[in-house]
This record gives sequence, structure tokens and C-alpha cells, in this order.
Amino acid sequence: MELSESVQKGLQSLADATFFDMKTFSVLIEVAFRSLLSAHADRSVLDQPEFKRLDQKLLKHCHTAATTCILEGVKQNADKSTISACLEDVSFDAERTEVFYTTYQKYKSDLETLLSSLGRCPPHINDVSWRLEYCIKNGHVHKVNEPSYLISLNVEPILLQNANNGGSSEDVHFSCTMEQLQDLVGKMKDAAKSLEKATQL
Amino acid sequence: MLLVLSDEHKEHLGFLPEVDSAVVGEFGRIAVEFLRKGTNPKIYEGAARKLSVDAETVQHGVEGLMYLLTESSKLMISEVDFQDSVLVLGFTEDLNQLLLQLYLENRKEIRHILGELTPSLPHYHNLEWRLDVQLASRALRQQVKPTVTMKLHLEESGGDKSAKVLQTDPATLMHLIQELEKALAELKTTHCRRILRNIK
Repeated sequence: MELSESVQKGLQSLADATFFDMKTFSVLIEVAFRSLLSAHADRSVLDQPEFKRLDQKLLKHCHTAATTCILEGVKQNADKSTISACLEDVSFDAERTEVFYTTYQKYKSDLETLLSSLGRCPPHINDVSWRLEYCIKNGHVHKVNEPSYLISLNVEPILLQNANNGGSSEDVHFSCTMEQLQDLVGKMKDAAKSLEKATQL
Repeated sequence: MLLVLSDEHKEHLGFLPEVDSAVVGEFGRIAVEFLRKGTNPKIYEGAARKLSVDAETVQHGVEGLMYLLTESSKLMISEVDFQDSVLVLGFTEDLNQLLLQLYLENRKEIRHILGELTPSLPHYHNLEWRLDVQLASRALRQQVKPTVTMKLHLEESGGDKSAKVLQTDPATLMHLIQELEKALAELKTTHCRRILRNIK
């Protein structure tokens, strides 16, 4: 795992018992993990009573270092030996490494879900609405007498974890006859069938 | 249902009995062509010279025919009603038959052309799909995330085509299929069948 100098310095301070005793260290590690998972950036995340005595600049630096290290680990699916090796390099003792790794295991899968939802993709379909109508006549042609479907695909432009993206849904609307809808559903079923086959490989 | 022709319309069509039935046939062909592709004033002048009449008279005659055809097609009037409506113009039996033939042969196409004028949404044309598995992204390596990418082809009533690239996940795809199958099943219910049968 490659970590920048600044992150390494932050971690070294975390390892240092003169700055962080075991209790404070454990609290900071827990806070670091949880702050990554909370939906909104919380300004008071570092307002724990255990942190009152600490130099605030140091505290922020160590929090940032910890969260960066955590994200790097989750991103690369780091195992115990990778993490232990990395923390050893920044002078973590066995006890602190153990605390870090236990918390890492606890939150890893939630963090993975969070990270996997980041990124850009083509507009993502969430849902579909339909309407069946029978057209009797219109201004230009009388006696139309044909049924037709109106389909709306509910689409989200960019997939982001935080819902504050102000994402306007760009729904896709179109009409189709029964035959066209059968064609559409047939093709979707083909896709689903090949999905099923692929999962059996 | 009878077609009611205004006096002005009858006047314009009044030009037709004065020429050969071959010429009327030709005017009929021109009228349908104009409905398909738009009018071309030069044709009026050419015809006017050949027949030694005003270009305006020719224009009125052709336009009268066009209006007769579009109104009849729009209302989808029956053969009998058409003949009765045309009777009022006082044409010869041959001319009436000619007009009737013109109407019957072209009404389906004319209705289709008129249909393009109605407001409508783009309609479905085709769907292409592709199965992908996301292996990694900038934020997370070592993923196995199946996705289905689809290209939906739509067509406007004027012929403009568009294609949208969309994506979905396997669970949503199954949900979409289920919902749309419900929609298809709806047409086969008694309620819908009754309506479709009775409103004709």
C-alpha cells in the first residue's frame, strides 16, 4: 500500500503513546471509520471528550491520515498481512495494529459498498411505469381505434452515494404498440437469460 | 356520414367535368403526389398551358381534389357515403366512379400521412443490449459487479431517429421485465377486450 509522506507522518503520530494513549487511539480509530460511512459530513465528528486535551491540528492530521489509510486498504482489498506490514512501517505496536485491523474487518464490507457506488456510468434505470390507452380519434384522423402503450423509464443521471447531488431524473418516455412492447420484453428476457447462463459458468 | 362541401369547394371542383376523364385521372394522381411530397406550383402552369385555362383554375381543381380526399380519409367514410356526398356536385357517373376509385385506393396511405401530423411521443424502434462486469474503478479495485448496458432506439413520427444508452443492474432488469409483462397481460383481460371489441 503506497501512502504519502504526510499520511505516514500522521500515522506515526498515532502510533506514539505520548500523543495518544490506548483509549484515545481506539476512539479515534472508531471515529475515523464511522465518519467515512456517515451520510453527511459532520463538523462535530472530532468533538469527542477524549480529544479535548489534544492539540487540534495534530488531531485533524491524524484523523486525515487514518481515513486515507483506511480508504486505501479497502480500495485494494488489503488483507491482514498487507495492513500489518504497512502499520509496522509507521511504528504501530502489535496492540494498536490489532485494534485497527479488528475495526477494519468490522466496517470493511460497508465501505466497499460505498466505494463501489462511486463513479460515473450511463444513465441508470431504476424503475418503469406504463400506461395502456385506446386512441379513438385525434384532430387529424378520426376512427383510429388502436390501443397503444406509453412507457416511462425512471432514470438517474449519475449514480452517487450521497443524495445531495440534486440529480434531476431524466426520464425516458416513449410509446409503442403491443407488438413493439413484445419485442422489447423479448429482448430484455434474452439479456436476463444470458445473465443466468453467465452466473452458472 | 355525409361529407358537407362548402360552396367555394364545389366551385373549385366544378372545373373537373369540363376536361377529359384522363385529365381528371392525372389531376388525381398529382393530388395524391402532392399529399405525399408537398405541392409544386410549376405543375399547375404546365397543365394550364396545355388545357388553355388559368393556372389558378388548375390549382383550385387540384386543391379541391386534395381536400376532398383528406376529408374523406380523415372521417373514413364508407363507399356509399362517399358516392352520396359526391352526387351533390352533379358530375357524370364515370367521373363519380373515378373519384370513388381514387378515394378507395389511396385512403389508407392518406390516413397514415395525416397520422404523422398528430402530436406524439417518440416510439420504440429497437433495443440492443450488452452484458458487462465491472472489475475495478478508480474508487475500488477487485470488484465483480454485473451490469446490463442497453441502447434504446426511438423514432419520431417524422422519421427522426434517436438512440439512448442506458444501464441497469440484474435485479432491476428482472423487475422491469415483470412490470412490462404485467402491462402486456392487461390487453388480454376481459375489460380491455370488451372495449376493443365494442368501440369500432
